[in-house]
Amino acid sequence: MNLPVAIIIIISFVVVAGALTLAGFVWAVRTKQFSIKQLNEGAKLIFDDEEPIGTPQDMIFQKPSNGSANHR
Amino acid sequence: MAAQTTAKEQFVSFASEAVEDVSERQHRVHIDDSVTSPVVLYFATGIAWLVLGSLAGLGAAVKFNLPDWLGGTPFLTFGRIRPVHLNAVMYGWASLAGAGMVVWLTGRLCRVPIQKTWALYVSAILWNIGVLFGVVALLFGYNQGMEWLEFPRPAGGLIALGFLFFAYSIIETFRKRQVEHLYVSMWYILASMLWFPILYVVANLGIYDGVTEAAMNWWFAHNALAVWFTPVGLAGAYYFIPKVIGRPIYSYYLGLLGFWAFALFYNWNGIHHLVGGPLPTWLVTVSIVASVMMFVPVMAVAVNHHLTTIGHFRMLKYSPTLRFVVFGSMSYTAVSFQGSIESLRSFSEVAHFTHYTIGHAHLGVYGFLSMILFGAIYYIMPRIAKWEWPYPKLIKLHFWMSAIGIALYVIAMCTGGWIQGTMMNDPSLPFIASVNATKPYLWARSVGGTMMLIGHLAFAYQFILIIYRSGPTRYVPAWFELRQASGSEESKPV
Repeated sequence: MNLPVAIIIIISFVVVAGALTLAGFVWAVRTKQFSIKQLNEGAKLIFDDEEPIGTPQDMIFQKPSNGSANHR
Repeated sequence: MAAQTTAKEQFVSFASEAVEDVSERQHRVHIDDSVTSPVVLYFATGIAWLVLGSLAGLGAAVKFNLPDWLGGTPFLTFGRIRPVHLNAVMYGWASLAGAGMVVWLTGRLCRVPIQKTWALYVSAILWNIGVLFGVVALLFGYNQGMEWLEFPRPAGGLIALGFLFFAYSIIETFRKRQVEHLYVSMWYILASMLWFPILYVVANLGIYDGVTEAAMNWWFAHNALAVWFTPVGLAGAYYFIPKVIGRPIYSYYLGLLGFWAFALFYNWNGIHHLVGGPLPTWLVTVSIVASVMMFVPVMAVAVNHHLTTIGHFRMLKYSPTLRFVVFGSMSYTAVSFQGSIESLRSFSEVAHFTHYTIGHAHLGVYGFLSMILFGAIYYIMPRIAKWEWPYPKLIKLHFWMSAIGIALYVIAMCTGGWIQGTMMNDPSLPFIASVNATKPYLWARSVGGTMMLIGHLAFAYQFILIIYRSGPTRYVPAWFELRQASGSEESKPV
């Protein structure tokens, strides 16, 4: 296949990929993914009451003070 | 044996019962349980390919030192085991282990059990058959002749199909998510679900030849990193570093800025591999400009991860996951800066077509991605197996063998490669002089590769133990050193 035709095919796919990315960006704006509130709270999403901020999480098995082992 | 079984059963039963009455914890455990079998399948097969790929890589490395070694056996010649190494570790180890981590992270980040788990089984089976078929074909000498695309097209088709089933499950889970906002790791995961299938299908269309084929080859090879391997590694780093430390990422703003800058610049990078080649100059120049612009997202990631970790470096002393992931994150910064500089024409004049490029590639795929995947697996497996890693000393062995091995490898290859390039550019020297000058560095590479293989064997052995819930029963975290604050002690083997 000659160069121009191959480039047209590649560019077509790249346009599809770009369009998908742009659609993702538009979706993000519309669903307020970039709102100040979301940006301020987003970093805390991986934490919850059971795995709170301030508690290292690299320990699934630990022995609490009452002596019985615990599964986190 | 009976006593051992009883103790294990009691412990597993206890571990399960301990979570029953706590709804949030129960929900999270339920999410983890929904992915147990597929994640173990991805990890187990990925680790099998890691060991096989490492053996092939070490064999190829030793052949630089002993060119006649195994040269009489056709399927063990350099031209066959070198592509076996590359494809087994990229499409076997890194892709399958990465897929396992992505599945687990998606459940956690969408806060919902993984949907369409049947698609994950189909995906893992197709993917493994594709890699196996491709590896056997390479050993028998069937090779498409393009780096990163050596597998015969049917093998590539199976892998592409496997990825589509995998993406289907991830996107379905995303659609059922229980969270309003997407964490930055999820951005990287979703982007790779959209981009990688397009890239892989376009690259395997088979409509290219000549210069076009070379352009497509490097557009694909570099973008495989851009749209699949790097997003997976960064998704892991953005989750595990703050999670293990217990501190939110330093700047969420920087995180999203980094993602969108990454999306904008990375996919243009591939053609810098063809500096000096017979391509339109503007095409190469655009690629170089985009490569240099990668400083923006890389700085965003580097600053973010460093400032998240700062003040908590002591945890690197204890936590295997954190140590592996932070090593990977630091390697990402190093390899990205190195890559941006390497794309410049003046630098390429020396480094191109030398061992320097091999050192760079290993820093990225091993120092960055593989180290993050190791850390992720050390974090995830105890949660889904409900069994702690039995031997922290083996984790320590794994870490140091991998860390020293890759450091030795990269330093040797980059130094030797630069010397090689300088000598090849000197018309007064015969070509063989540049070959002889690299010999000590090639030995260092073989030593580094051997160390990494030893680490992988220790890792694989522990992985087998944890999936069978074997080895000593541990009621405490498998840290490198137990912190006094935990007040814990290791149980004796039963």
